[in-house]
Amino acid sequence: MISLLCCQSVMAKDVLRVLAWPGYADPDVVHDFEQRYKASVEVTFVDSDEALWARMHAAGGPRFDVVAANTAEMQRYHAAGLLLPLNPSLIPNLQRQLPRFRNRAAIPGLQQQGQLYAVPYTYSTMGIIYDKRQFARPPDSMNVLWDARYRHKVLDFNSGQHNFSFAALASGIAQPFQLDTAQQAAMVKRLIDLRRNLLTFYSLPEEATELFIRHKVAVMFGNYGTQQLNSLRQAGADVGYAIPREGVLAWLDCWAMTRSARQAQLAQQWINYMLEPAVSALLPIRQGLANTLSASTDLPPGSRVLWLQPVENANQREALWQKIYSGDLPGSF
Amino acid sequence: MRSGLLLKLALLLAIFGILSSGITGYYAYTANRAMLVSATQSDLLTAASGVNRRIVQWEDEAADDALLLSRLVQVSVVINQRNGPEAKRERDELAQAFAAMLALHPEYLQVRLIGAADNGLELVRVDSQSGLTLRVDGGNLQEKGHFPYVFETLALPAGQIYQSSIEVNHERASHDPEGRPGLMVATPLPRSDGQPGGLLVINLDLERLLGQLRRDLPKDYQLYLANRWGDFLVHPDLAQTFGFDKGRRVLMQDSFAATKALFERKQNQLALSGLDDPQQAAGQVMAFVRHPLGRGNRDDFIVTGLVQPLDTAVAGAAPLGQRIIHMVLAFSVIAIMLAVVFARAMLRPINTLAQAASSFSTTQLQQALPVERNDEIGVLARNFDRMQRQINSHMASLYDNQRELSYLAHHDSLTGLANRALFFQRLEQLLEQAQRNASQFAVLFVDLDHFKQINDQHGHAIGDQVLQIVARRLLHAVRGNDMVARMGGDEYLILLQGSFTTDGLSELLSKLSLSIGEPMVVEGKKLEVGASIGYSLYPRDGTTAEQLVNQADHAMYHVKAIQRDGHTRQLPYN
Repeated sequence: MISLLCCQSVMAKDVLRVLAWPGYADPDVVHDFEQRYKASVEVTFVDSDEALWARMHAAGGPRFDVVAANTAEMQRYHAAGLLLPLNPSLIPNLQRQLPRFRNRAAIPGLQQQGQLYAVPYTYSTMGIIYDKRQFARPPDSMNVLWDARYRHKVLDFNSGQHNFSFAALASGIAQPFQLDTAQQAAMVKRLIDLRRNLLTFYSLPEEATELFIRHKVAVMFGNYGTQQLNSLRQAGADVGYAIPREGVLAWLDCWAMTRSARQAQLAQQWINYMLEPAVSALLPIRQGLANTLSASTDLPPGSRVLWLQPVENANQREALWQKIYSGDLPGSF
Repeated sequence: MRSGLLLKLALLLAIFGILSSGITGYYAYTANRAMLVSATQSDLLTAASGVNRRIVQWEDEAADDALLLSRLVQVSVVINQRNGPEAKRERDELAQAFAAMLALHPEYLQVRLIGAADNGLELVRVDSQSGLTLRVDGGNLQEKGHFPYVFETLALPAGQIYQSSIEVNHERASHDPEGRPGLMVATPLPRSDGQPGGLLVINLDLERLLGQLRRDLPKDYQLYLANRWGDFLVHPDLAQTFGFDKGRRVLMQDSFAATKALFERKQNQLALSGLDDPQQAAGQVMAFVRHPLGRGNRDDFIVTGLVQPLDTAVAGAAPLGQRIIHMVLAFSVIAIMLAVVFARAMLRPINTLAQAASSFSTTQLQQALPVERNDEIGVLARNFDRMQRQINSHMASLYDNQRELSYLAHHDSLTGLANRALFFQRLEQLLEQAQRNASQFAVLFVDLDHFKQINDQHGHAIGDQVLQIVARRLLHAVRGNDMVARMGGDEYLILLQGSFTTDGLSELLSKLSLSIGEPMVVEGKKLEVGASIGYSLYPRDGTTAEQLVNQADHAMYHVKAIQRDGHTRQLPYN
């Protein structure tokens, strides 16, 4: 009895505080980690980037040891001095990752000044979802959304940032996240053209599925990626998923250690544990998300992936987008 | 013992009375609460349906207005000759009509005529702005072809109505509607060639309408409204509404798990309470009603929920509860009193029997018993009474026997006189008495003379009769408080109380001798018998019974010896 109490009090000292999205730290996964490292884990879930941002900016610093966020957010957190560098030798499972993720210099937001700050965990591409019955061959370009043959048979996601980025991608702009004024003006025109070609903009995945079926939509921008694909197939649509040759936008969620981390080793053990094959394998099974260890059929090797980055001016893009969305005429910008 | 039984019986009856009134009270209280909650549930259901009906009513009114406006002749001119110069005037007139409609209906935020051509470009648009009407024209008109309320309406036949889902309006520069939750009511406008020409849209202000609804509802009702996916549109906490609009989902089926059945279309309404389902509706009474929204084949609906705290719902039960407590207390007091009275009444005949039994065992006196009762106690009383009588009669015969034995022990069976034992007993008493009172008395010893000859001559039967006659004569000769006893054979003893002079005593002895000596006729035979009498006086001749009797005996022999010499003398022996 005494030894039990003593062990519990020792364990109580080793508490790992995790801030993550639902599905990233399921109870069974957490339990196994606690058993293996004789530590106690407290998980806090967030459901939006805004909520995550608020938690990380709590007065007195973040009250978490590790955090999961996408690469664009990681860049913001690093810029705000909220993260601590990681020691790759403490995360041996990095070696198990696909070459795409081992080439960390190619993914903005993972490293800063040669030091590792964020470890890729899961991702989702924003490819093109198309109705197989209306396409003899899978569409291979973003520009299919502007194709007049599919007028009023196109769906797009209601989002300023992504739409400017993928319009730039479709227009062959090398830096879709960093548009200059001229490029921005050109993209406004492109997006008004898109608006005139599509049926409507969607916000919720259920809404997209409903519209897709009801209005016999041919092609859509899959903001929710393969998760959305599954829901469409469940609803009876015969759909395919295409990665355009210009490249595909994708979010990549990573694990990082906050500057408030009390147990650096335990925090990095957690990150390493998340990359265990048995743990990462749960992502496709339970969440319909890809992991960084095994190749996904929806993302052929060699495809160009543009991991989300902070854009040149998010507010400006949003303001322009509101006008485009509201139906402003080209002359009013 | 008897008071113990009384206490136990009274306690039992009282507990029974208190328990039965308590249980009845508790049942009445819980039944009343359940009834109140059930009434509240149906109130909430009715109110929630009322909310839905109100929303539908607003939509219908807006639909009627849209249809009315769509029939204006200017509408057809504008739709058919949109670019003609004459259409300018009609558009102005329509704008005036729209403005008049907006002014008339503060719940309308926007009235528009939208063309089917040019990507759904607005043709006539009047917005409300801070309660005033504002016409939007020229380059400020917007293309709306990509909004569902446009392409869905254009697909409808003429005269039909489209109703949008409830959403936050994100159409920039729409003035009052911008950023507010609302819904669109629209009707298609076909061209004269039958092709879709455009649509007439009225934008309804949901905030204003819901504000009215809330004012009409009781204060403690909380109103919830969710769209067909469960996203909250109305919630007491504003931050929980239109979550999907801010990139997060706040769903009714997560907050109220039971509503899942409504969103899965398994049920149209449900009511819950913390009384029946403390897990899902802790401390609350709630009702949710699913209601179809819009017309046509779009499967759109809203779920309206009303929640009331359980406390206020059952507040009406509290005074009744108080009253029930008072009643239970009053009935308990009555039950205790009745229990005591009843227990006493029940135990009274038993007590009577017990008292009768205990007094009978000491006094053998029979007391009045409740023999007239028809119950078990009556049976017991009658049996006991019979037993008492039997015991009494046995006792009486026992006493008789005892008395007879005692008489036989102290009397002479032939003459009925006291025997020697009784005589000595009496003599001892008299001695005690005389010693105490310093009084005197005399003991006489009488012996019959020649009795043996009578016996021999006439037989024992005659002899016995002679002894009896002598006994009667002796009894007759003495006073009532003097005693005559037969010593056996032909000897008698007499005890005379009082002091005597020698002369007086001599006279008495003579009288006795004469009385004995009188001739008697026995069975036709004339017989005569004499007697020798000796006496002794207390205290002169002795102070013990034996001394006195011996002295009297000696005196009698002395007399007998003198008589045998031919002299009859009655002299005390000296």
